[in-house]
Amino acid sequence: MIIKADDISLCYRMSFDRVSGIKEYLVQLLQGKIQYQEFWALKNVSFEVKKGEVFGIVGNNGAGKSTLLKVISGILKPTTGSVSVNGNVVPMLELGSGFDFELTGRENIFLNGAILGYSESFLKEKYDEIVAFSELGQFIDVPLRNYSSGMVMRLAFSVATVVNPDILIVDEILAVGDASFQAKSKARMMELMSGGTTVLFVSHSIGQIREMCDTVLWLDHGQMKMIGEAQEVCDYYEGLRHE
Amino acid sequence: MDQNKLKKGCAIALAGFAVLALLLYLIGGEQFHYREDETDMLSQVAVVEEITADDTVEQEIQLNGNVVGLSLLGATYNRTNTGTLELELLNGDTVLDHLSVDVSQMADNQEHYVPLHNPITESGTVLLRITAPESEPDNAVTLYYGSLSEERKNPAEDTPAKLNGKEINGALCVSLTTKTKILFGDIYWYCVGVLLAVLGIFSLRLLKANERGETTQTLKLLHAFSRYRFLMKQLVARDFKTKYKRSVLGVLWSFLNPLLTMTVQYIIFSTLFRSSIPNFALYLLIGVVCFSFFSEATNMTLSSIVGNASLITKVYVPKYIYPVTRVLSSAVNFLLSLVPLLLVVLITRTPIRFSFLLIPLVILCLMALCLGVGMLLASAMVFFRDTQFLWGVVLMLWMYATPIFYPETILPDRLLPLFKCNPLYHIIRFFRTAVMNGVSPEPKAYALMLLASLIPLLLGVLVFKKTQDKFILYL
Repeated sequence: MIIKADDISLCYRMSFDRVSGIKEYLVQLLQGKIQYQEFWALKNVSFEVKKGEVFGIVGNNGAGKSTLLKVISGILKPTTGSVSVNGNVVPMLELGSGFDFELTGRENIFLNGAILGYSESFLKEKYDEIVAFSELGQFIDVPLRNYSSGMVMRLAFSVATVVNPDILIVDEILAVGDASFQAKSKARMMELMSGGTTVLFVSHSIGQIREMCDTVLWLDHGQMKMIGEAQEVCDYYEGLRHE
Repeated sequence: MDQNKLKKGCAIALAGFAVLALLLYLIGGEQFHYREDETDMLSQVAVVEEITADDTVEQEIQLNGNVVGLSLLGATYNRTNTGTLELELLNGDTVLDHLSVDVSQMADNQEHYVPLHNPITESGTVLLRITAPESEPDNAVTLYYGSLSEERKNPAEDTPAKLNGKEINGALCVSLTTKTKILFGDIYWYCVGVLLAVLGIFSLRLLKANERGETTQTLKLLHAFSRYRFLMKQLVARDFKTKYKRSVLGVLWSFLNPLLTMTVQYIIFSTLFRSSIPNFALYLLIGVVCFSFFSEATNMTLSSIVGNASLITKVYVPKYIYPVTRVLSSAVNFLLSLVPLLLVVLITRTPIRFSFLLIPLVILCLMALCLGVGMLLASAMVFFRDTQFLWGVVLMLWMYATPIFYPETILPDRLLPLFKCNPLYHIIRFFRTAVMNGVSPEPKAYALMLLASLIPLLLGVLVFKKTQDKFILYL
């Protein structure tokens, strides 16, 4: 069992007026004015993911899909319950969030790679592959601030998908750049996901979920609506939507 | 964790500890056995008058403890004089010691230390008689005296000095240096033995736990360190590369900044306020580099969590990595600023001694202090963004509360306990003793410096650990 989520719940405490000053906080605390509203983003979610499985998560906006992914990758701590993850998790959340625009493409490959948890030897070995995939050529030694936004996305995608992790977290299949690069990047994603690693996959495209996933979890308002074999869950999910 | 690697690491740690303990004893052995104290000197009021061949200056002084030397505050009229000052210490008719001072070695308006030939252990009143048998007018030195006051702090304060048998209105500026035996030197090797044993037992337990596959706190830390070392290296490199990225002089600024700050302060404090500190340039520069490191490191760690919000909300990395890397990257800068310090050491002809080997210890303590304070601030910053503005003011106050450009002696006695709470004070003081005096500080200074760095570190780590899970909700 590579991921085991045991009855996890996550509660946000939202204060009505967000206080962000010491004075304000003290004043409000003294007046007894600080009120919180509890919001359960996840409630009693339990599941297990086997090694090599592609595990899909579906649900409407605000159902808690991204929150669940954050809990599994360790960014958020569940309020109650526990998650055990055996293996290194590579999140493919937002591309290029670790880039520094003052540094060159080459330096950013190493920086962003390190943030994603790759080892130094791995990056050195895959460096040429990353540059080749990004099609940046001689621009690799130019500071990122001189890149076009498409070039930045291409570099980010190339770094993020060079991995061979135990667990890959994919929040929507990313297709970036121009038409030809989009095709290339989509093919790369598919290749990654069918390559034997455990994948947690969130998408609004039911077609992709049906195509890729073995097991699907359907979340609704933070609660588990259904979990089971991919086609079956997707049928119910779509059936409900068509009603 | 790889068992063999861990074994190797433990062996290195034990051997390293033993070597360091030996090295420390070689550097500081003398100071671990004996403590040197200097009594206070009266503040100068005026000079006696030029001391020439037919003059005799007499001063009664109180001896207490094992006296090994005395200091006089002399003036040379801003010229190089020739001849000697003959110092006699008399107890009744017996001459306890006879010292000869070459006046050409005396500096204007500065204390001059004269070691005794034999330490005097008996206490009581003795007479210090000073003559200058070879000196002629316009080629002689003089000595300062201070006014007699109600409180007795000074060995010469009881009675006025006599010039050619006539009392003058004050007592000579004299201070005595005593040497006292302390216990620490005798128990040093026992302490080292006990610590080594503790370290050994700890290593064995660690190895055993690792073999059984248990995870202890230390193992987790080691594991995280080996796993995130590459990331830390990259983040430090990033900070360092981007700092001077688009400036013309680039990394030269790391050298120039402390030098320029020192120059400005040196000009101000050596012309506007005459400072009596010997080797003021070095005194100042040590204070300046330490404080700028503290200020830069804490300011950078302050924003380490808030500034990396986009990463923290997306990728899981242990959160302490961010403050730690910020402190490390300012430490790189600090190390570079030690180069101009070395330059000033060479220019001022300060002798380079073994005690310079204590500098890495000072750096480690300073880093621990910065990390502790920084982690505290980083946590506070997440919840209250006011922290950054408040810290600017606190930092300014802190600068004035630390003897960076003024001598410690101007601190008023009743505020002294307050100043001793300042961790930076102890660290800078240790640094100065090791570099400027060329000797290891006394054992107490080691203890104070360690406390001054470890207490804030512990506090910072605890607060950070307790609050880190809530960070993400406020970013």
